[in-house]
Amino acid sequence: MTSGKLSHTVAIILKALSLGYQFGFDIMEVTGLPSGTVYPALRRLERDGLVSSNWEAEQQALKEQRPARRYYTLTRLGKEAESAATVRYPLLSRLIPEKLGNTR
Amino acid sequence: MSQPQPPSQKDRLCRLDAWLLPVAAKLVPRARRSDWLREWQAEFWHLRHTQSHAQKISDSAVEVLSLAWGLIADAGWFGINSVRESRRGTASACLLQLAIACSACLVIELFCAGSWHALGMVIIHYFVDRFMLVALPAIFVALATMPSRPRKCNRTQHAGVPTSRARWNLFLTAKIVLSLIFGFLFCVLVSLPVSKALGRYGDWLDVITSTIVLTTSLRLALDDQKHRCERCLRLLRQPVRIGPPSYNLLNWNGTELACAEGHGSLQVPEMQGSWCWYDLWVDSGRRVPLNSEPCI
Repeated sequence: MTSGKLSHTVAIILKALSLGYQFGFDIMEVTGLPSGTVYPALRRLERDGLVSSNWEAEQQALKEQRPARRYYTLTRLGKEAESAATVRYPLLSRLIPEKLGNTR
Repeated sequence: MSQPQPPSQKDRLCRLDAWLLPVAAKLVPRARRSDWLREWQAEFWHLRHTQSHAQKISDSAVEVLSLAWGLIADAGWFGINSVRESRRGTASACLLQLAIACSACLVIELFCAGSWHALGMVIIHYFVDRFMLVALPAIFVALATMPSRPRKCNRTQHAGVPTSRARWNLFLTAKIVLSLIFGFLFCVLVSLPVSKALGRYGDWLDVITSTIVLTTSLRLALDDQKHRCERCLRLLRQPVRIGPPSYNLLNWNGTELACAEGHGSLQVPEMQGSWCWYDLWVDSGRRVPLNSEPCI
């Protein structure tokens, strides 16, 4: 996926991921996008190699008394796409606040 | 963080979790299903235990519907993507695409002609008066300009079981027939407005269009066949450059394409010609001698 093909939705999701929002509902909450948009977009990004996902360590989840989450992170290609999206849509940086405490 | 929720919102979330999640999971391919379920269960837990999300769910049925739609859309994406991946580049997908293109041309022509009877007349007139004049020479040109492979290079070509060879030939025949039908219907589609605009002078344009469309579609069909796995007929992928660049044109170098199912690979030389190298299919089921050079 090249930067020329980045839609607004994908740009927002990449930005959210770059700012430390790492799982589905976290991204939904900060972007205001519905689950029907966020999850399929995450799957497509993962298939295209812009995002990678892995399961949270069980110990960490147990410590917080909750089930383990699947965390999404930007790959090198994803970071490049995110930089391109930020240049293309400068207001993105103002739309999404940086996450204060990383849950991971 | 965790706060007791009113019964209504708990019920809605429980219903989604208990009813919709297992139903939507059926859409996800079996290999990914448990992972998908685990991810969504964790997300539902987060939803239940976050006041802002839970409040939204309790306040609005639209939020519940949106969440249910998201769940189904996500599961559906996995299902569709899995089918798309398994069908990508297959012989059936190729024939289906050609059949869809033919049908689309036919529907547009029917719309332009107004009735089946009128369309039938146009097609018969076009086929007898123009298409027949062009089709045979076009088929001849397309086949004659196809570089043929010397017999000595056919050491692995179609050397497999007769059923594979029969499937290969059947698919090639079906593809050529569909390509000819598509070429014909496309030419009729182009000729309908051209004839109206230019009258009898449009005949010349029709002949030129038919020649170009038929020759091109046949050549594309034949070229497509060259880049298919000889066992499963799937399009070969993952092109990799092999061999050192040759400055004196004596060393072999080119591109290798592999079958996604692992049936073999096709070695395509950088330069092709009667004096030079030809494409070589290396079947993974057959042992290739280590010192075997590509066919010269």
